[in-house]
Amino acid sequence: MPDSDNDESGGPSNADFSSPREQDRFLPIANVSRIMKKALPANAKISKDGKETVQECVSEFISFITGEASDKCQREKRKTINGDDLLWAMTTLGFEDYVEPLKLYLHKFRELEGDKAAAGSQPPPPPSSTHNGAGVPVGYGMYGAGGGSGMIMMMGQPMYPPAASSGYSQQPPHHQMSMGGKGGAYGHCDGSSSSPSGLRRHDGL
Amino acid sequence: MEPNSSIPPPVMGAAVAYPPAAGAAYSAGPYAHAHAALGALYPPPPAPGPPSSHQGGAAAAQLQLFWAEQYREIEATTDFKNHNLPLARIKKIMKADEDVRMIAAEAPVVFARACEMFILELTHRGWAHAEENKRRTLQKSDIAAAVARTEVFDFLVDIVPRDEPRDADPAAAAMGAAAPGIPQHPAAADPTTMGYYYVQPQ
Repeated sequence: MPDSDNDESGGPSNADFSSPREQDRFLPIANVSRIMKKALPANAKISKDGKETVQECVSEFISFITGEASDKCQREKRKTINGDDLLWAMTTLGFEDYVEPLKLYLHKFRELEGDKAAAGSQPPPPPSSTHNGAGVPVGYGMYGAGGGSGMIMMMGQPMYPPAASSGYSQQPPHHQMSMGGKGGAYGHCDGSSSSPSGLRRHDGL
Repeated sequence: MEPNSSIPPPVMGAAVAYPPAAGAAYSAGPYAHAHAALGALYPPPPAPGPPSSHQGGAAAAQLQLFWAEQYREIEATTDFKNHNLPLARIKKIMKADEDVRMIAAEAPVVFARACEMFILELTHRGWAHAEENKRRTLQKSDIAAAVARTEVFDFLVDIVPRDEPRDADPAAAAMGAAAPGIPQHPAAADPTTMGYYYVQPQ
């Protein structure tokens, strides 16, 4: 069941994700167009804006399902989104028709390609960024515990024990010590003086 | 490595509010090839159905055939290395969400198939609108009409403007559609709730 290629690379492989280029936000229009043609009669044509609109809709579909699955993983204190989480999310969001065929698909994938795909589908090692010195502000509180502490929390939502993190973040901003010490260093308001390691997981020495 | 061809496909219509046309759909006989199956999915409808997400009659039968065909195609799948959609790109789109941390290898594979189904369904419903307007070219307005008519596509109302005039693609609407990036609003079908979501500048 645990079929996470991220774990095999060791440590948190979710490095600082560089800003995606415009073309990376969508699936290739040639692939999308080819699939669209399968749903149309032979003499049908597709306008360019029609293809581009479906391109955008597919990316939205992926983000929609992924967001719901990610929310579920966080509630269950799990780090990895797997196939079952996606199927659950599709059921929750109204795509019940998709789930039965996909269950069969996932079952066959795990049978035939499970271990092989885990070893072979990730040949390039993920680039890991040791520090995020600038401390990109993330006021992204849609999921998880984000109520009330959004004003103080500049490093995004707390990942683990929200009570403890909330305690740290409630300190006055100008008194936060970003270089360790007794009070801990969670919440790096001053990017230039932040420690190069353990930005988000710094629970104090 | 034996495929589970002995397992009969379940009744696809059980999960949706369609009339029980499974028997009629399956009694249509075996398909000679995929092209025939796709052809069977689009018989010319005698009358356009009501604009509802639960269309009865011919539309339900077509959907039944579609899902039965999907199940058969998946049952015949033996190669999971070649996909119609690139897995790396799917993974990148998934990781655009800051909350997403680790993704199992099977997740992009599932999405590759799910996105194919999504594209087929959206295109199929859009084509119904094009046919109603006696056109042979699928346009953006057809996709917009499919989104407006199908409740499960409510999350797309911000991607495809719902008030787009019929058979017209004004530049303003196009720019409006291009303005939102990939905001995460699973429950937002109301424009007023958009103000509560933070969209990172990327």
